[in-house]
Amino acid sequence: MSSPLLAVAGLSVRFRMSGGRTVAAVSDVSFDLAAGECLALVGESGCGKSVLASALLGLLPGNAEVRGAVHAGGRDLLTADERTLARRVRGRLIGLVPQSPAAHLTPVRTVRAQLAETVRELTGAGAAALPDAVLAAADRAAFPADHLDRYPHQLSGGLAQRAATALALVGDAPLLVADEPTTGLDRALVDRTVDELRRHVDDGRGLLVITHDLAAAERVADRVAVMYAGRIVELADAGTFFGKPGPRHPYAAGLLAALPERDFTPIPGMPPELHALPPGCAFAPRCPRATDACAQRPALTEGTACHHALDSAHA
Amino acid sequence: MLELRAITAGYDRRAPVLREVDLTVADGESVGLLGPSGCGKSTLARVAALLHRPDAGQVRLAGEPVTGFRHRAPRAQRTAVGVVFQQPRLSADPRLTLRDLVAEPLRATGRAAHVPERTADLARTVGLGDDLLTRRPHEVSDGQLQRACLARALVLRPRLLICDEMTAMLDASTTAALVGVVEAYRADSGAALLAVGHDRVLLERWCDRVTEFAASGTASEAAVA
Amino acid sequence: MTHTTAPPAPRVPREGWTVPAGARRRRRDYRALRVRTAAALVVALALAVLAVPLLFPLDQQAVDLANKLQPPSAAHPFGTDDVGRDVLLRCVYGLRVSLLVGLVAALVASVLGVCVGALAAAVGGTTDRLVMRVVDAISSVPHLLLGVFIVAMFRPGVWPVIVSVGLTHWVSTARIVRAEIHSLRSRPFIDAAVSGGASRWRVAVRHLVPGVWPQAALAAVLMVPHAIWHESALSFLGLGIPPHQASLGTMTEAARGSLLAGDWWPTLFPGLFIVIPTLAIAGLAGAWRERINPRRRSELML
Repeated sequence: MSSPLLAVAGLSVRFRMSGGRTVAAVSDVSFDLAAGECLALVGESGCGKSVLASALLGLLPGNAEVRGAVHAGGRDLLTADERTLARRVRGRLIGLVPQSPAAHLTPVRTVRAQLAETVRELTGAGAAALPDAVLAAADRAAFPADHLDRYPHQLSGGLAQRAATALALVGDAPLLVADEPTTGLDRALVDRTVDELRRHVDDGRGLLVITHDLAAAERVADRVAVMYAGRIVELADAGTFFGKPGPRHPYAAGLLAALPERDFTPIPGMPPELHALPPGCAFAPRCPRATDACAQRPALTEGTACHHALDSAHA
Repeated sequence: MLELRAITAGYDRRAPVLREVDLTVADGESVGLLGPSGCGKSTLARVAALLHRPDAGQVRLAGEPVTGFRHRAPRAQRTAVGVVFQQPRLSADPRLTLRDLVAEPLRATGRAAHVPERTADLARTVGLGDDLLTRRPHEVSDGQLQRACLARALVLRPRLLICDEMTAMLDASTTAALVGVVEAYRADSGAALLAVGHDRVLLERWCDRVTEFAASGTASEAAVA
Repeated sequence: MTHTTAPPAPRVPREGWTVPAGARRRRRDYRALRVRTAAALVVALALAVLAVPLLFPLDQQAVDLANKLQPPSAAHPFGTDDVGRDVLLRCVYGLRVSLLVGLVAALVASVLGVCVGALAAAVGGTTDRLVMRVVDAISSVPHLLLGVFIVAMFRPGVWPVIVSVGLTHWVSTARIVRAEIHSLRSRPFIDAAVSGGASRWRVAVRHLVPGVWPQAALAAVLMVPHAIWHESALSFLGLGIPPHQASLGTMTEAARGSLLAGDWWPTLFPGLFIVIPTLAIAGLAGAWRERINPRRRSELML
């Protein structure tokens, strides 16, 4: 086993808001991602998933503060300056597959022009080599060459997604981060999109998928990290998580049970506010298994942060 | 409850999104309308909610023919249909607190006296606490905002509820919770439901019957599955 | 593959909180400085035009030929003009006229523009198209030319200038308001209001006008410098404020002759008094525009 592509250790992100409030968006998150592996980060909206992605790419707003370390490509991304991030990290080390490709592409330029610009910027290809490099880049994301001269609004949702993926792949980044790549797409398109992302994993890239769509996560991921109130509460193999014996954290179990193909019953209550987290386990107020022990925050041990983890025989 | 006959509708008369579509929702029935994105199912939902005038075809609501759309529809007809949209951020006025958002239809129809009682009642039903009700849309999550939008759709006690991709942006637990609220309301009031979406598993679990929209905007008719 | 037992990669988590590197913070600080400077300038100028006339009355007709064209000194910080009048005092009086014209004219133009734009958008159809063609026609004539026509119909003075600015500048506000209402009207929350039984009037008053108002107010603030320049230009051409009355335009015009003789101060200082308030107001308006931009608001959304 090689050393991981991405090693996140004890990462916390908080925002200083007006009035002295602080919002703890991400708390003490640690995980590794190896080449040829896909990790799905799942959780409800507002649980801090997207903030985590922003932190990896150095795109946090000015009132953010961070703690911990994010190692990738031999450097700590949290301490890297803007210049290094722009020249060495974004696009070259980490490619971002955006949430809404239509908004990510410039509406006034063709796909070819946008790809050419990115290719020139990231690979320094000369004018002679550029047309071929653009074709190769389009091909890598399975974007059809005869659609290169179209404008983004002339593309279907699936093709727009491929165009955005092609842009993310230009720099041959070993690590891809996909932030909610399937939101608002219909089921067939979701399947196609995640299958294509999976193809890049099988080509040896590392992929971090951030999503609230459990079906998409099941389809693409090797491992699943469940995030709740800014913390990873469960980190498990996708096979055991979605299949037998199933998740061990009550929240993860509740999330799966809420799927329409399963029990279709919601978890009672709502997630806590990130500016007023309870001192103990953040899930305890909604948890059917909570006891007095839950006033102490459980550590993430053996892939689960719970004092009363469901044992493997449960499911 | 709702009868759509040979509806042709769109945003450009030369290229209608829908051609001659029929759809019927009986009293108390829940119908799922399934189709890929861009097939015109949202347009059909807008026609059914009297928010978009079709180019041709007839709409009957509770047996009455509909003669006008949007403001031209009589208020009683408009408010008989409750609508929840896909994107809660776009369907909430950013300047109103969630409490005012839920209460707005009551105030608009001159029933301001019912505001405290109805909003408290509905906030409990959809699971919004007092603290959340005082916030504005940009201070809450998508899930919380969609709960408020559902409460707004229910506040006038509609006899038909239209959910246009209501849960497409939401996580599994919130989806199940909102569907639970809709079903509890229907059990209580006997209202009919038209749920539009692209998630077959969800719609088949949720609705009495699922009608499939053929791919592409030129669907000739909606076949009953 | 095992994952929880990660290799001992170079991972030394830091203890304390740090602000991640990046240019955003610097840009924020620069923005704060810009806003503070602009605000301080606007307050100082407002105080000057309000307080100075109370403390130092100005005789518009007074002439002191013995002291004509004195360069800046302790007694006359901005020097004196070609008939011996103190340039600083006249600049303040001139700015007073300019600001008065600017504020009132911007108000008149904005009210007119909001009414016309909102009406056109609300009624829609042929009326809308007709009104917007009138707007196009008016904006196709250069503002200054149209302004000259209007002031030429009256005797020189403050009010004709205000009418002139008001009647030429409302078109841009009308366009902004109309476009904004059209874009708001297609949002789902308007659909939701219609479905909730709201009347046309209620939709307009409760949802559309409050949505347009920040943009309209911003346009009004940005119009103040426009109006100041328009007034100065008309006065410079001798069509605005009467020549003996202190106004930034008349002062620049009167000082043209002495500029040729190398006496720079009677032109420079009134010029600065036109430029500095313009930049200060535009700076404040720019900060406000960033504030009401919803994209910035959502920056912190989780």
